[in-house]
Amino acid sequence: MSPKMSSQAGLSRLGAQIAPIVIVCAIVFALPLILNNDFLLNKVARYLVLGILTISLALSWGFGGILNLGQAMSFGIGSYAMAMALKLKTVPVHTGSGGLPDFMVWNNVARLPWFWEPFKSLGFALAAGIIVPALVATGLGWFIFRSRVTGVYVSIITLATMVVLNLVIIDQQSYTGGFNGITDLAQLEIFGMAFDAYGRATFYLVASCVTLSLLVAFAFTRSKAGLIVQAIRDHEGRVRYFGYDVAAYQIFVFALSAAISGLAGMLYTVVMEFASPTFLGVQLSLSVVVWCAVGGRQSLVGAFLGAVLVAGMQGALSESAAFLETWTLVMGALFVLVVLFLPKGLAGLAQGAWRWIVERRRPSRGVTQSVGEAREGSA
Amino acid sequence: MDQFFEQIITGLSIGSILLLVALGLSIIYGSMGIINLAHGEFVMLGAYSAWLFQTYFGLGLLASLVLIFVVVAAIGWIIERFVLSLLNNRPLDTILATWGVGIMLQQGVRLLVGSELRYVQLPPSLSDSMDVFGLSVSSYRVFLFGVTLALFAATWLLLNRTTMGMKLRAIMQEPSVAASFGINVRSVHGITFAYGAGLAGLAGALVSPLKSVSPDMGTGYVVDAFMVVVLGGVQSLAGTVASAFILGELSGAIAFLQNDTVAKALVLLAIVVLIRFRPEGLFTTRVRA
Repeated sequence: MSPKMSSQAGLSRLGAQIAPIVIVCAIVFALPLILNNDFLLNKVARYLVLGILTISLALSWGFGGILNLGQAMSFGIGSYAMAMALKLKTVPVHTGSGGLPDFMVWNNVARLPWFWEPFKSLGFALAAGIIVPALVATGLGWFIFRSRVTGVYVSIITLATMVVLNLVIIDQQSYTGGFNGITDLAQLEIFGMAFDAYGRATFYLVASCVTLSLLVAFAFTRSKAGLIVQAIRDHEGRVRYFGYDVAAYQIFVFALSAAISGLAGMLYTVVMEFASPTFLGVQLSLSVVVWCAVGGRQSLVGAFLGAVLVAGMQGALSESAAFLETWTLVMGALFVLVVLFLPKGLAGLAQGAWRWIVERRRPSRGVTQSVGEAREGSA
Repeated sequence: MDQFFEQIITGLSIGSILLLVALGLSIIYGSMGIINLAHGEFVMLGAYSAWLFQTYFGLGLLASLVLIFVVVAAIGWIIERFVLSLLNNRPLDTILATWGVGIMLQQGVRLLVGSELRYVQLPPSLSDSMDVFGLSVSSYRVFLFGVTLALFAATWLLLNRTTMGMKLRAIMQEPSVAASFGINVRSVHGITFAYGAGLAGLAGALVSPLKSVSPDMGTGYVVDAFMVVVLGGVQSLAGTVASAFILGELSGAIAFLQNDTVAKALVLLAIVVLIRFRPEGLFTTRVRA
């Protein structure tokens, strides 16, 4: 194959990979035109946020091979960062005496704790919602990957760490709102623009963040670092023998994934209008894994759609308790089937169908096809 | 001093329940490499079987123990046969598959029996308390401790003194070589999983008089039991025993000094640090991986 041809093939492959992202983002932005109901729009925004969270897991799990069972930890940190800032913005009626949040007054806290102080600045909170999860992930990643802990043990450590943080938040009621979380928040206002949870502005904010997350994650998977991360997933030892610092790459993808889920957490607080310990609970964390697996862990768009569809379906059925319970049962069965027979999820199914169509229409293009198949075989 | 002994006994009691749940998990994980997140659901099924036998057949807890073991083991065997045996050499996927199975079991029970709390009666012969080192301890807890040790002994004998155990140990070393010597890997795996599930069912049945029975009662146990297995070392039964009682005493002591939440958080943190520095567990001598 001449270099020119290969670069052309590369370009068309790039096009084929970015097309689904463009289509999905366009649909997301067009949704408010179809959905003429603020309540419904808010619900959809919620599913989109969960979609962002699932993209972040696809990055670390599907591409990095790191099954993070505590993905919701970064999500929760982001969510609390936003909630703390918005709580301090509430009008004095809600905040009790001296600008203290109401739950602190109920718990006889005399003055604002030091770690609440900086959250009086919204800018700080917005930065913290992304940077703190990334820093925590870097620390945890350093702790895990520098000692070459792999596989199942990574999952146990991430899960246990999240449970610890969850327990601490519930236990320290006077500083965190405990089991109830942080409620009665002010509206987010950036540069004079108010983001009402049920308004269009919030929906477009979420849609923009979906696009941003998809593009950042996609760019990373196409970068050199992203390729090395995928190589580490497939064979850690070989990459190490080539002289790469395996742990550094793992820590990076771990932190990037945490930053994205921190962003999702902040949006979740805006859309839900509260923050709660359940946002970093085991239940949510495992649900994210399910969404990711069903949608396709090795496809960013697939993972995103998996979350939106499954969570959306669950939400739609939750009107009736009997439906919901049956649905949970069906969900469990579906999940087992996907794990057993569709390791690449629905995205893998779609890719297979697409390849089948292309193959039938253009039998002459054997070269690209065999490249595709060779990649398939090595994965 | 009395308080000290009381703490020790509380710890032993927590530890024996932990061990009971962890024993089955340890066997399944240690010998098959399956991270069984449905283990808590087997515990729950055991508790529900106890309730079922008591309410509909009038059988006391002690009389139905064997039946409960058989019922839950059979369910475990079916799951191994039709789900897990399809997942050879994909240990991370077993986490996902067993979690899905767990949801199905939990939801199935919720749909069939309802999500109300159920109660199982203490066996009348064990409802009084007895004197241990000058302290009054509930007889049932002493009984639990005894049963736990007996089950541990039985498991150890099965593994180390029977042909079945020998086959299993051969498979643990190297499945393909074991298979070439004529050992039926699939059937041994099926029986092992069934045995582990049965043990979990017994644990659930034995715990049921102490706690209320509900469809999601197993969730808490599986995390704790998993920590026991990790702490004890994956392929070491004796390690599992030691770590169950260490964790029991530890959480008992910290809960006494601080509170339950702090105890749980500290124990989890300790385990995270332990995995970092000794992923093979505290009590394992390196075996062939």
